[in-house]
Amino acid sequence: MSFMQPSPVKYACSCGIVNPINKLFFCRHCPKLRCGYCVSHEVESHFCSNCLENIPSSEARHKKNCCANCFDCPCCHHTLSARATTVPVVRKTEEPKDGESAGAATPPPASSKPSAVPTTKKMYYLSCLSCRWTTRDVGIPDQGVATGTWPDNECLYQARFNTLMEYYQSVVLQEKQEKQEFQRRKAPKAHKFPSLTDRTGLTVSLIRRQIGWSEKNVPKTKPLNITPAEAISELEDLPQDIFTQPINLRNITTVAQRHSQPADQPTAVGNLYPQRRSLWIKRSLRCRQCEHNLIKPEYHPTSIKYRIQLFASYHVPEVVMVRLEHPLEAGQSNAILLKLSNPTMYDMTISILDEKPTEEPQINPDEFQATCKIKEEAVTSSPLMKVAALARQTLTKEVTREVRDVANAKIKLLESEFVLNQRDDSKEFDEEVQAQTEEPNFIVWRKGNKVLLRLQFTPAAELEVNDVVTLGFFMQYTYVNTVSNTAEKKEPTTHTLSSRLFIDAGRIEKGN
Amino acid sequence: MPAESDIKIMPKSVVCEESTLNGDITISSGCVVHPSATIIAEAPIVLGENCIVEEYATIAHRLKDGAASDASNTLHIGANNVFEVGCTVEAARIGDKNVFESKCFVGSGVTVSSGCVVGAGIQLRTAQVLPENTIVYGRQALQREAIEKQGSQTLQIDFLRKVLPNYHHLRKPNYDPKKARSVV
Ligand SMILES: [Zn+2]
Ligand SMILES: [Zn+2]
Ligand SMILES: [Zn+2]
Ligand SMILES: [Zn+2]
Repeated sequence: MSFMQPSPVKYACSCGIVNPINKLFFCRHCPKLRCGYCVSHEVESHFCSNCLENIPSSEARHKKNCCANCFDCPCCHHTLSARATTVPVVRKTEEPKDGESAGAATPPPASSKPSAVPTTKKMYYLSCLSCRWTTRDVGIPDQGVATGTWPDNECLYQARFNTLMEYYQSVVLQEKQEKQEFQRRKAPKAHKFPSLTDRTGLTVSLIRRQIGWSEKNVPKTKPLNITPAEAISELEDLPQDIFTQPINLRNITTVAQRHSQPADQPTAVGNLYPQRRSLWIKRSLRCRQCEHNLIKPEYHPTSIKYRIQLFASYHVPEVVMVRLEHPLEAGQSNAILLKLSNPTMYDMTISILDEKPTEEPQINPDEFQATCKIKEEAVTSSPLMKVAALARQTLTKEVTREVRDVANAKIKLLESEFVLNQRDDSKEFDEEVQAQTEEPNFIVWRKGNKVLLRLQFTPAAELEVNDVVTLGFFMQYTYVNTVSNTAEKKEPTTHTLSSRLFIDAGRIEKGN
Repeated sequence: MPAESDIKIMPKSVVCEESTLNGDITISSGCVVHPSATIIAEAPIVLGENCIVEEYATIAHRLKDGAASDASNTLHIGANNVFEVGCTVEAARIGDKNVFESKCFVGSGVTVSSGCVVGAGIQLRTAQVLPENTIVYGRQALQREAIEKQGSQTLQIDFLRKVLPNYHHLRKPNYDPKKARSVV
């Protein structure tokens, strides 16, 4: 399978979107094909892609989804790396450009120290390997340790931001309290007899206030007062020299640079500061119908493996287009060679159909989901899972759309069904001793779990030169499911499933 | 085409025998020319002190129509320049302390002053002048100005000077400026 070229063979997902097999998943519980569009995406873990540190989601939220130690270049958005320089301590100023850089970091020159023995100290600055931007460019002093001590650039409006944030947090809190209060009042009293306060409409707190006692329960959080923003009608005039001075574009930031520093959006390159690197996430995918995980990555950021990986190519027979027998001509019968391979450990019986086979009766969806849920809890009950489950919103139900039939060729159906042998990795190394059994004549070649199939078709007669010929058919296959949805049944069940396939066979080469 | 004998290598420079040197080339002391580096001098080239020319780097001084191929049309390359792996530099003038990163291309209309960095893979083909401390970087070949010149490559040169003779045949220095002056 080539990942660089788009595959000509596409499978219709159960939601109706057509995808190559390597973009599809297979829910063993439903059992149906799923694609990225019809599963729910959940954040599994946060990590920094540079230092590969795993960061718990609460901490990630606290740190505004940024890594504490890694920085991006404000100039070209590449990762900054720490560079070490050795600085002699006896020297008065470490950099000639300004005193403030040296003042804080290097201890004052000790005249008692013999200058013949120059003690050196390692100092660090951050540097971009791509555009050679350094923290010295904007006058950030070198630091004695490589990580952890880099100053955050506080923008001009930071205080205002903080008060606004506090204000809105208290607004949220207040609304929540009011809602609770409302629900408490609305809810029928647990007491057998109506209390005095119910009759009179007095509340406990009201009485307390009347008596002059202080509020017993938590005082209602009042949003603190903030000074509202004021609109200004008078604007400062532009400086006069803006019309006369030629601008130096090198000192002006680009739009991308401004957007990467959204708090102050500097216009001059001298105000670019290293930006904390955004965290990446590991994602898990969940079937929307049965709420089972389809993809669940390993927790650790350095691992690229999965704990659950239900990729379609592990469960659904893969169809690869090998070649056409003749150049495509409208209305002329032709044949296509398809290689099918069975990725599962069970034999599959495959037939090619031109219309959707009648589905086996589906299990009652509600009951099915209930059993699934119980199992889910039992299988994955890590604390992290629980958090994810709580945070999950109500899953939108699957909307099935019609698959648009784009096929424009007539398939000549196979005379019979055929068996695709199970995958057996050890067989790959065996000598070819397969006793040739009587094969149907549409099977060109067979080895192990692979079959080369000859499928005859006729492109529609009204096609013009350069039109794309698309073959469409249903592939029905038996699938042995090793997971069962009910707790008692343990032996694998066999399903007869079908997938709709579209094959982009190429373009008409000759007119008739 | 001038003969190989026009190549002047000053003492204390390391010029590998497998490098391709064509034309009237003067390599000043302290330079390191790696194997399979190419210098094409259709008109004379003078390489300044302590330059590094890495593998597959090409420095060319092409002859324009009607231009003289004698000493009046000499390309003087300044000191402490680095020509990284696979770069092609045909610039009209090159100052000091420049870095030409891997696989970059600098065309013949470009004037490179001092302290410039041409980023990896960047193609500069139109006639332009790079002011001092210009850094060309990124896919869109954006330019910015560095606050200071790039650090010198002394450590790297010292290392190469030690290591390269162990594995490669060197061209012998054949020109001593002091002696030459006394002769003339
Ligand atoms: Zn889908
Ligand atoms: Zn990090
Ligand atoms: Zn950068
Ligand atoms: Zn499912």
